[in-house]
Amino acid sequence: MGLTLLLGIFAICVVLGVPVAFAMGIAALSAFWWEGFPLLITFQRSVSGISVFSLLAIPFFVFAGELMLHGGIAMRLVKFASALVGHIRGGLASVNIFSSMLFGGISGSAVADISALGSILIPVMKERGYHPDYAVNVTVTSSIAGIVIPPSHNMIIFAVAAGGGISISKLFLAGVLPGMLMCLCLAVAAYVIAVKRNYPAEAFPGWHAVWIASLQAIPGLVTAVIIVGGVLSGVFTVTESGAFGAIYALLLTFFVYRSLDWIGFKTSVVSAVRTTAMVMVLIGFASSFAYLLALYQVPDKLSSFMLGISEEKIFVLLMINVMLLVLGMIMDMAALILICTPIFLPIVKDLGMDPTQFGIMLLVNLGLGLCTPPVGTCLFVGCAVGRIRIEETLKTIWPFYLAILAALILITYVPAVSLFLPSLLE
Amino acid sequence: KDWRGWNIHVEDYPVSHGMEAFMAEVEEKTGGEIKGKVFHAGVLGSQPDAIEQLRLGVMDFGVFSLGPMGQAVPETNVVSLPFVFKSVPQMYELMDGAPGAALGEALEAKGIVALGYYDAGARSFYNSIKPINTPADVEGMKVRVMNNDLFVGMIESMGGNATPMAFAEVYQSIKTGVVDGAENNPPSYESTSHFEVAKYYSMTQHLIIPECLCMSKKTFDALTPEQQEIVKTAGKNSTDLQRKLWGEREAASMKIIMDGGVEVNEIADKTAFQDAMKPVYDKYLEANPEMTELVNLFRNAE
Amino acid sequence: MLRIERALDILSLLCMIAASICLVVLVATFGWLVFGRYVLNATPTWVEQLALLLICYITYLGAAVGIHENTHLGVTLFRDMMGQRISVFLKLVIDIVLAGFGLLMMLASIELVMFGWDTLLPMLNIPESFRSLSAALCGGLVFVFAGLRAVFRFICLIMGRPYIEKGIV
Ligand code: NA
Ligand code: NA
Repeated sequence: MGLTLLLGIFAICVVLGVPVAFAMGIAALSAFWWEGFPLLITFQRSVSGISVFSLLAIPFFVFAGELMLHGGIAMRLVKFASALVGHIRGGLASVNIFSSMLFGGISGSAVADISALGSILIPVMKERGYHPDYAVNVTVTSSIAGIVIPPSHNMIIFAVAAGGGISISKLFLAGVLPGMLMCLCLAVAAYVIAVKRNYPAEAFPGWHAVWIASLQAIPGLVTAVIIVGGVLSGVFTVTESGAFGAIYALLLTFFVYRSLDWIGFKTSVVSAVRTTAMVMVLIGFASSFAYLLALYQVPDKLSSFMLGISEEKIFVLLMINVMLLVLGMIMDMAALILICTPIFLPIVKDLGMDPTQFGIMLLVNLGLGLCTPPVGTCLFVGCAVGRIRIEETLKTIWPFYLAILAALILITYVPAVSLFLPSLLE
Repeated sequence: KDWRGWNIHVEDYPVSHGMEAFMAEVEEKTGGEIKGKVFHAGVLGSQPDAIEQLRLGVMDFGVFSLGPMGQAVPETNVVSLPFVFKSVPQMYELMDGAPGAALGEALEAKGIVALGYYDAGARSFYNSIKPINTPADVEGMKVRVMNNDLFVGMIESMGGNATPMAFAEVYQSIKTGVVDGAENNPPSYESTSHFEVAKYYSMTQHLIIPECLCMSKKTFDALTPEQQEIVKTAGKNSTDLQRKLWGEREAASMKIIMDGGVEVNEIADKTAFQDAMKPVYDKYLEANPEMTELVNLFRNAE
Repeated sequence: MLRIERALDILSLLCMIAASICLVVLVATFGWLVFGRYVLNATPTWVEQLALLLICYITYLGAAVGIHENTHLGVTLFRDMMGQRISVFLKLVIDIVLAGFGLLMMLASIELVMFGWDTLLPMLNIPESFRSLSAALCGGLVFVFAGLRAVFRFICLIMGRPYIEKGIV
């Protein structure tokens, strides 16, 4: 009964349009009341859910990303990508995807990626004769590669949700190939459509221009090198690396590029606060929610239910993927990572899957959810930036969904895609 | 009534078996009037949260380390003082006697009923540089400690660089030299694989911090006198069981550690270390003069 | 009504400024931590615990501002399909629900503040209550922001004129 109340109230709140974070809080509060717990437990869980040391990396990663956007690093990355891959057929799509790999890699936030790159690239693409739906689709779907290409704050949320036994450096390494694989699949889809719709290619600017563009982009790329390098070498903890990366980005944009003024700084701080608060308050109330799920023993029950249907690894993984995709459609990433990890991780461990590989699979699944209605933050932001109705993009987005699904299948069933790079380290 | 039990350890651990045995005995002897479930592996949150929940009556019982307990019940900080116990057997004796009862009173004043004190072993230093034989060997070493002024002070009084750090970060940090070492009991040193990167284990046994099988006073007071007796006896029995299991577990871990090529050195005379702790005690008693009597109760025991 | 809305805007701005200062302090003190650990070989032990306190204020003040500015993620699809009149009504209901939740959040968190008074945060040695205080503040702010918006919506509803939304809707 308590569980029904928890899930029921949550569903009603979400459908009515209550912000998801607060819907979880309200549902948890009701369930605690039903169980006769003091109501303050809801908020104790939520406060301690966010007072977790490794989660401190989130504001740092987000702040570094905002500085890159408002301090002109993003623009230099696009120029660099443009010089390198712009001459391919449908060149700006490739530029878009490649830029996502670079920028999303650093910021780790798909939404930041879209608002940064989308606002630069979508107008240019439209101008060069690309249809708006295509421009938005490419931008939106490619942005989720940044979630698995390190650094990524979502990986940290996953490591926290998994109970601390998972190494962040291993996760970071594990995300590299899957991220590139997704970009490759998307590039193929984009290329095929570009040929069909007869989109143009850009002129190759010459090696000199490539050289200049890379010189200008490299200091920006170093931000990612600092964060990832700091973690992989173990010289810094993840949190320290994030702080160091943010301070580096600040110094770079202010003193070297000289493209960050007081207004840019203020905007970066405020946007970082907004994003951090949004993600963290979700994490907080998701902790209250997850506490109740543990109390009602949902993970145990679901796991014996699923393994009761079949113990065939291929089938169980398929079921998990489908569930994650459906959940991803209606809920946001951070909260789902916290809720789904304790539920599914024991099951896949039983099946002999490496927790790190599961993490990548989970992130790609939920990432795809960011591009699907009814709750698809990336899709919404992309459509807002591209000034196009969601229904219009949805008509032509399916080849891109297919591309990501293809990558997802490989990530799910071929462990080496995720685990090859980490295995080199050991 | 359905009891909820909090436990930070995984299901197969001496503490966990002790708690399961406790619950099983209570269930059996109350004829099923009281049932319960132990939630292992910290699925119901961190220790400070669980202590708060226990005091509020949301959690019915749990096993808590007396280390972090000091934030909620300052008296329990006394057992976090380095070398306050001379050995593990002495810890048993004191915790089962008058000093343990004094802590029990302090806990009860905060809504926690102590049913028994479990063994969490003795913590010793390990590092990747050299064996520690004297306090001077710690000088200049970067040592990870738990978040507590006392432990920071303990390292600093030997001239080391205390580094509070999340537990999950320690392995990688030792491997890459961010810290030179840390300190823990043999089972933790072994199960975290820290012994693979820190090859020197020096049996300083500086901290012997017991864990406490606790019950919410709200839950306890709601029991009949007969049930309270059953619970107390079950608590005592589970304590005996856990201590036995702990001994076995520690021996098994030491074997793995030795087989792993770790250089273990015993420290026959710990006087030099104990003397080095004087500033820690002075600073603690200066800040908490009301604890003097309690500290002496432990320190002056034979 | 306009003057009250203006006051709410200022309150929200103040929260944002406070949260922003917390973020800047967070970055600066962590810079100091990295410097201390790697250059001075003396780790400032208070930084991590201070950071855990600051993140609470960034989160909860920022979340309250998000309520005022309508920037939290939610599923508006179903609501939007319902048509104008039901949608107006639903928005009123949501604000009332949020205000109620905010009130409970404030009251329960104040209880938590009282309860945590004698428990100290490690290394900082200040009561744990300072952490739960951020949640109490958030609850109070959500109550004020959502509650007054519900009142305005209601006034607009009975006066038969549209309520002008703030931020992304
Ligand atoms: Na990334
Ligand atoms: Na979605």
